[in-house]
Amino acid sequence: MNVVAEFVLVVLVLTDLAVLATSRLTTCVRLVAVQGAVLGLLPLVLRWPTFDLPIGTLAVSALALKGIVFPWLLLRTMRLVEIRREAEPYIGYTLSMVVGVLLVAVSAYLSTQWLPVSAGNAERFFLVGALAMILTGMLVVVSRRKAISQVLGFLMLENGVYAFGVVFLRETSLLVELAILLDVFVAVLVMGVAVHRIQRGFEHIDVDQLSALKG
Amino acid sequence: MANTYWMPILLLWPLVAAAATFALRSVRRVLWFMAASVWALVPGAAALVMQVQGSGSVSAADGWLYADALTAFHVIVMLIVFVLSSTYAVGYFANDKSAALTVRKARRFAALWLTTSSAMMLVLFSNNLGIQWAGIEATTLVTAFLVCTHITPASLEAMWKYLIICSVGVALAFVGTLFFAAAMERAAVDGASTLLWTDVLSHAGELDPILLKTGFIFVVVGFGTKVGLAPLHSWLPDAHSQAPAPVSAIFSGFLLNTAMYCVMRYLAIVSANAALTLWAHELLITFGVLSMVVAAAFIVFQHDLKRLLAYSSIEHIGIIALGLGVGGLGQFAALFHVLNHSIAKMTAFFAAGRLGQQFGTNDMRRFARVLTTAPVWGGGLMASLLALIGVAPFALFMSELQLVRAAIAQGRVAAVVLFFAASTVVFIGALRLAIDAAWGGETAAPAGPPATALDKVLVAVPICVLLCLGLYLPEPVQALIAQASSIVGGAR
Repeated sequence: MNVVAEFVLVVLVLTDLAVLATSRLTTCVRLVAVQGAVLGLLPLVLRWPTFDLPIGTLAVSALALKGIVFPWLLLRTMRLVEIRREAEPYIGYTLSMVVGVLLVAVSAYLSTQWLPVSAGNAERFFLVGALAMILTGMLVVVSRRKAISQVLGFLMLENGVYAFGVVFLRETSLLVELAILLDVFVAVLVMGVAVHRIQRGFEHIDVDQLSALKG
Repeated sequence: MANTYWMPILLLWPLVAAAATFALRSVRRVLWFMAASVWALVPGAAALVMQVQGSGSVSAADGWLYADALTAFHVIVMLIVFVLSSTYAVGYFANDKSAALTVRKARRFAALWLTTSSAMMLVLFSNNLGIQWAGIEATTLVTAFLVCTHITPASLEAMWKYLIICSVGVALAFVGTLFFAAAMERAAVDGASTLLWTDVLSHAGELDPILLKTGFIFVVVGFGTKVGLAPLHSWLPDAHSQAPAPVSAIFSGFLLNTAMYCVMRYLAIVSANAALTLWAHELLITFGVLSMVVAAAFIVFQHDLKRLLAYSSIEHIGIIALGLGVGGLGQFAALFHVLNHSIAKMTAFFAAGRLGQQFGTNDMRRFARVLTTAPVWGGGLMASLLALIGVAPFALFMSELQLVRAAIAQGRVAAVVLFFAASTVVFIGALRLAIDAAWGGETAAPAGPPATALDKVLVAVPICVLLCLGLYLPEPVQALIAQASSIVGGAR
């Protein structure tokens, strides 16, 4: 574990917390873009100074997709549906910050309870971060009102899962990792189209108005 | 392990056909082409099943694609559902007067439909756990727009819930997959880097139980969202009720089973590690019984036929999970129930779709004298509802009976009591509505269009199959299910 890796992890968790406290959606997307770019570099940082081609390929594709393509798709969708701010989330910004910090604590507790003794401290430290990212992503999905914010939450969750994979696995197959990146890419694309369609159907994208179906 | 070319062919053919739909110029032609393309899968699938029967298991693409008895069984169920539903779709959309398909919409529908079948087969055939996961996520993404084929506020809502809830759930399942991968890496065994199911299974005994346990919880919760296990089922009634009937039929008939198939694969790994078998079984029993109870509670207050059928799917998925958790003969019963439930539920959705068009609503209180105004679809609905609530001699009665016997033999008394309580509630709740729809109702019932010969076949064939399977289970079918259930049990 090197100092750079520690720094990277702190950046990842802090961007998540910052998203929790931000109402302006473009800022949220930019934060998630920073997070994605840093995440793309993570495999390289962890293996520094060694370097091999498959990991390089993975890092570059993750960086390009998570840091550039996804945010661009989201910003484009937001332009199309003309939305800038998250209006009145179910859980207020301050409160969700507090909940976010609590989630970090929860993931610290879970990681120390779960992980078998063989794992080193460095890994444990990263597991805390990855779990926290997954949980905050879920928090954003359930606590925000705009469909776009929910997509953002899904991306944050996926970033957590990705961090988890990068840290936990030394040699996963490149093919699988790329297939999964592709899947998330299509997911964001599909969700973007879906948001657009909802907007055309309803003239808004407030998820709380999507509540006719019950029971 | 023999090699086969059928798996790649079966995976690629629907994609080629999906692209070809864009060259067709009328709604009718597009839909018939779609049905014919699905029919064309049958010989290939039959050849594959025969190869599996001959040599136990086959593989392709360096072992990345793999098929054994469990795969073969699911391929059969899938094709029954897909072939009949595609054929049904032609008549369904021809009668959809209120919202007729345009050629563009029909092409998109057919392309998505065919791609769905390819994605589902990817899940079935993939030996790599990561690719299998990608297949499940792909089925969500492809089918999302099938839900809102007709764009209405309600269908958009259903689509969005389905998309978000299942994507988040399935992301958690991936975390589970990562735990299995981590367990392989820690044990430093062969095949750690490729994560093929066959390798993981053969080393299951050497893997760290804590990692497997954590992974399995994530897998059950994650894929359980897609399966529709309570309390993770909230997307399911909406998506099933808002989708056009052919789509509801493949959702209930096979989409849920695709995710359950993944749970079965992981269950096999966990069961092969002796320290965890009992624990995994208890986890599944808990989810199974909970789903049955929750579904029963919602069925009692349900008037919308398609929502009723959706909750019934949650109940039956619960029964299947319960069977998997009972183990041994229970797993045989669970797989038999997969087949029976898929056939019955598909038929029920066929009838529900056409009756819904006839009455202009899915509200069962507005249905009247369906047996006289629409004898074919009304009869199909009554027969499939009776089958679904477990009336003898339909095959669902037999599989449930076997399951209860296995559960009692295992001493799972509490589960059996709850099973009976939930089944009774469902029985009364569904029958009350069905009787009213069949014989009651003062309102003048609009007459439906006369049933074509194709309609009669689409109702008669599944009902007859359910009756025959209930009375006599042919030897080859029984052997296949027995083999499949021993794979779920962790046999190597």
